[in-house]
Amino acid sequence: MRYVIAGYVVVLTLLFLYGVQLVWRRRRLNRLVAQVEDSRSGDLAEAGPA
Amino acid sequence: MWRDTLLVAGKDLRIEARSRVALSQVAPFGIVALALFAFALGPDRAPMAKGAPGLFWVAVLFSSVLAIQRSVSVESVDGARDGLRLSGLDPAGQFLGKTLSVAAQLVVLEVVLGLGVVLLYGANIETFWLIVVSCGLGTIGLAAAGTLYGALSAGLRVKETLLPFLLLPVVAPVLLAGTRMWQAALTGGTPSNGTPWFHLLIAFDAVYLALGVVVYGPIQETA
Amino acid sequence: MTTDTSVQSPRVMWATRAIGLLALVGTGLTVWLGLWVTPPDKVQGDLVRLVYIHPGVAWVALYLAFGLAAACSLLYLWPRTRSLFWDRLAAAAVEVGVVFNVATLISGSVWGKPTWGVWWAWDARLTSTAVLLVLFLGYLALRRVPAEPEVRAKRSAFAALFAAVDVPIVHFSVLWWKTLHQGATVLNPNLSPTIHGSMAWTLLLGFVALTLAFVWMLLVRYRIGALEDFLGSGELDMALLERQSEGAGPTPEPLGTADDARAPVKASR
Repeated sequence: MRYVIAGYVVVLTLLFLYGVQLVWRRRRLNRLVAQVEDSRSGDLAEAGPA
Repeated sequence: MWRDTLLVAGKDLRIEARSRVALSQVAPFGIVALALFAFALGPDRAPMAKGAPGLFWVAVLFSSVLAIQRSVSVESVDGARDGLRLSGLDPAGQFLGKTLSVAAQLVVLEVVLGLGVVLLYGANIETFWLIVVSCGLGTIGLAAAGTLYGALSAGLRVKETLLPFLLLPVVAPVLLAGTRMWQAALTGGTPSNGTPWFHLLIAFDAVYLALGVVVYGPIQETA
Repeated sequence: MTTDTSVQSPRVMWATRAIGLLALVGTGLTVWLGLWVTPPDKVQGDLVRLVYIHPGVAWVALYLAFGLAAACSLLYLWPRTRSLFWDRLAAAAVEVGVVFNVATLISGSVWGKPTWGVWWAWDARLTSTAVLLVLFLGYLALRRVPAEPEVRAKRSAFAALFAAVDVPIVHFSVLWWKTLHQGATVLNPNLSPTIHGSMAWTLLLGFVALTLAFVWMLLVRYRIGALEDFLGSGELDMALLERQSEGAGPTPEPLGTADDARAPVKASR
C-alpha cells in the first residue's frame, strides 16, 4: 500500500507542479505584454497626432 | 534522379578518398570503442563473446554518428550547401547520393569492426549470410535515417550534441534487429528466429528512404 | 497574415478555467475513490489502485499528446493548412506529453516494484515508453535552438514526422525483442481480466479527469507559446523588459513585428 500512496503522490505532485508552473509562466508573460503595450501607447501619446 | 545520386555519392566518396577522415578517424574510433567494451567486460572472454553482437552494433551506431557528422560538415564550408541548392541537382538524388556514400563508408567500417569482434572477442560466426544481410540492411537504414537527421541539424551550432541525441533513439530498431540476427548467426540459429527482424529492417529502410526522397528538398530550404 | 496573438477571446479564457476546474475536481474524486472507496483486487490487492491513474496518464501521453503533435506537424507541413497555430499546438502537446510520459514511467515503475520486485524491467511497454520519451525530448531540444518562427516550425515538424514514423517500428522491435527472446519471459504484466463495479467507474473517471487535465495544460501551454511568439520569444529581451520595469527606466523598444503596432491595444488575462 505504501507503493500505491507513493505512486499517487509522485504522479499527482508532478502534474500539479507542472500546472502551477504553467500558470506562473502565463502570468509573467501577460505582465510583460501589458508593459510592452503600455509603453507603446505611451510612445504614441507622446508622439502626438502625425 | 539516379544520375544525380551517383554524382553526389561520387563527390562525397572522392572527398573521403582524398581526406581519408572516415578511414583515419572514424574506424579507429570504432576500434577504440571495442577496446573500451573489452576493458569494461573483461578480462574473461566469455561475457565479451556473449555480448559480441550487441557490442558490435553499438560500436557501429556510435561510429555512424561520426560518419554522419562528417557527411554534413563537408558541405558547411565555402557555402557549399548553397552551391548544391543552386546547382539544380534533384534533392531526392542528393539525399540518395549522400546516403549511398555514408552507407559505403559504414560497410567498410563494419568489415573492420566485424573482424575486430571475431578476433578480439572470440565470436564464432556460423551463419555468414545472416551477418551479411543484417549488416547490409542495417547499414542502409542507418545511412538513410542519419542523412535525414543530419540535414535537419545541418546549420545548427549545437549539432554536435544534438545529432546523436536525435538520431540514436530513432535507430534503436536497427540495433535490436541487427543484434538479434547476429546472435542467430553466432549460434547457428535458424532463419525463423531472424525472419521478423528481416521484415523490420526492410520496413525501416523503406520508410526512411521514402521519407528522405520526399522530404530532403524541403528540409534544405530551412537551413 | 497577421494574427494578433496578444488577444485571447474571453470564451477561450472561460473555457480554460472551466476545464481546469473540472480536471481538478475529477482528479480529486478519482483519488478519493481510488484510494478509499474501491475495494482491493482479488489478485493484485491494493496495487490495483494504481491502475486508476497509470493507464490514464499513459493514454494521454502516448496517444493523445503524441498523436496530436504528429497530426499538427503534418498539418503545418501541408501547404494548404500551413499556419503557426499548428506548430504552437504541436509544441504545447509535446511539452505536456513529456510530463505525462514521465508520470507514466514513474507510475508504471512504482507498480512494477512490488509486482516484479524490480524498479525497472526491460518490458516491451516500459521500454517503448522510454524511447518515446527520448524522442519527445529530442523534439524539445530542437525547438530550443533560436530561429525564425517559420524555420523553427518547419524543422520541428519534420522532427516530429520522423519520430512519429519511427514509433510503430520501435514498438514492434521492442515487442519482438522481448517475446522472441530465446529464454522464457519471466515478467508478465497481467491485470485482472475482469474489472467491474466501482472499480470500472473509477477507472473511467481517472481517464476522463486526466484527459481534462491534459486539455487544460494544453490550452495554457498554447497560450504561453502564443505570448512568447508575440514578444519575440527572446529570453534576454524579456529579462531586460522586466529589469527596466523594475528600475522604472526608459521604456524599451517595442518588440514584435511592425504589424503589431496596428493591432488593437488590449491587455489580456
